[in-house]
Amino acid sequence: MPAIDYHAVAPELILSGALIAVLCVDLFLPEKRKAWNSTLTALGVLGALGALFTLVGERRTTFGGMFVLDSFSLLFKFLFLAVAVVVVLMSADYLNDSLRSSQGEFYFLLLSSFLGAMLMASARDLLMLFVALEMVSVPAFLLAGFRKTDPRSTEAALKFFLIGVLSSAVMLFGMSLIYGVAQSTNLAEIGAALKARGDDPLVTASIMLILAGFGFKVSAVPFHFWAPDTYEGAPVPVAAFLSVASKAAGFAGLLQVAFLAFGGQTTAWGPGLAILSVATMTIGNVVALTQTNIVRLLAYSSIAHAGYMLMPLGVVAGQGAAIQRQAFAASLTYILVYSFMNLGAFAVVVAVGRKRPWNLISDYEGLSEREPGLALAMLFFLLSLAGIPPLAGFWAKFLVFGAAIDSGTAWLAAVMVLNSVVGLYYYLSVGAKMYLRPAEDPSPIGVPVPLVVAIAVALIVVVAVGVFPDFFNHFAPGATLIAL
Amino acid sequence: MSGYFWQYGTIAALSIFGVAFVAVAFLFNRLMRPRKPHREKLTTYECGIDPVGEGWSQTQVRYYIFAFLFVIFDVESVFLFPWAVVFERSRNPGLVLAEMVVFIGVLAVGLLYAWRKKVLEWL
Repeated sequence: MPAIDYHAVAPELILSGALIAVLCVDLFLPEKRKAWNSTLTALGVLGALGALFTLVGERRTTFGGMFVLDSFSLLFKFLFLAVAVVVVLMSADYLNDSLRSSQGEFYFLLLSSFLGAMLMASARDLLMLFVALEMVSVPAFLLAGFRKTDPRSTEAALKFFLIGVLSSAVMLFGMSLIYGVAQSTNLAEIGAALKARGDDPLVTASIMLILAGFGFKVSAVPFHFWAPDTYEGAPVPVAAFLSVASKAAGFAGLLQVAFLAFGGQTTAWGPGLAILSVATMTIGNVVALTQTNIVRLLAYSSIAHAGYMLMPLGVVAGQGAAIQRQAFAASLTYILVYSFMNLGAFAVVVAVGRKRPWNLISDYEGLSEREPGLALAMLFFLLSLAGIPPLAGFWAKFLVFGAAIDSGTAWLAAVMVLNSVVGLYYYLSVGAKMYLRPAEDPSPIGVPVPLVVAIAVALIVVVAVGVFPDFFNHFAPGATLIAL
Repeated sequence: MSGYFWQYGTIAALSIFGVAFVAVAFLFNRLMRPRKPHREKLTTYECGIDPVGEGWSQTQVRYYIFAFLFVIFDVESVFLFPWAVVFERSRNPGLVLAEMVVFIGVLAVGLLYAWRKKVLEWL
């Protein structure tokens, strides 16, 4: 019997324990104590973070090579747990205001989804990858439909469910073909088998199917239709979760599959992803221009950002290991930075939505008079999303841009710069509304403490990484999967 | 290589034969049978009882919950059998037993949840 390395899976075990504890404790909590659920959830996430700290610098393999803990998965796990802390902080008052009685289920589902994301970062086997991906998605379907009295929420959940199931089916079909060709489900063994086999239309077809499946998960054009409707209908903290953790989990899986299993086939998927990334960023940015709802605006902006994250994967075709490493690090860094700036923006949306539940962009008029701190934080997040120099978003874009230039695909870099200009317009138009228009109702909104902490965490990351971009050199290049 | 593709020929022949068999059988059935429709014959067949009401009817949502509960116990038994085989051969039966206890414990939480949410009460 193969021994299980319990230390390597300790963070996941703690998270599993916490989610079962939340479900059980909620059953016996009286109605007015339901807020304890969020405390318990936060404790579970912090416990998992503590366990993760004991694993820094380790490299462990367990479950017969299905589960690998290395610098790449550690980095993603830290990201997911940090995101989990911020999402729980965002949810606390949101749920107390509107969804008081079903908090236990909410946190249970949220933790299940994060558990899936954690497993995703360590999954080095097609089966494990698929199970992890489903574990991220299935609770997220329910979370999207959590505002049961609102038909928009039901629509959000149904759309997300149908698209999610379809994408899983497409991906499974690709995986089954790959298994037929490579006779293995282990990513590294698949990589070796495919390298030995050389060019084969069947392999190309199955790579396309698998990448299309991931395209749905990260909401890349043309697989993006579900994202705006789902984000708009879902509770706002769930939209934040979907646009950050779910997307990052999709990218974690995509990076592993692309570089470990299909590392020898870069010419098969590189050009396709380049076109996909151009379409994604262009359509995301252009459609965002016409939005009147802030959540839809952020949804299209997150589609555009998926394009920027995909771009480094589009430039690796036929390149040497050095360029591949650079592209890998650029994509990884973008995901990390994007997560925090987007979470911050969504946290501000939650705060403003306390008074204006329709989340219109016009609700932000005169925010600087009503809540100067909130408006300033939102401005920082928007400028970072747009990629203005002293903030983290700039350096993320800079690395992606550098990867495109160094690999000799200057046209991609040019498309990216044009897109950033389009993005700047709609981000700044929200900023202008906050600072230049008078407020219709000048009363302050009142931001609860957990939300202040959530915004502060995101803001500190965005500013600190912007001021000390050298920070990247400590982890991103070390966390590569590409062997030199 | 042509031999490889000829294997698809077998499948094609089988498909054509299968479709033709059903089509011919139905055609002959239609040509040879007597045709005397009347009102009782044209009503929907429902175990021999006269059909009542519309074809679209609502089902008690409770049955759906029973289906859920069934899944809980079904999953449990599906894993119990292979586990029993492993348990017999294991050199470390304590650990194997503990793992199954954890597994059943997690499923029992599902039952606990159903009980506390008053799913187990009829009305």
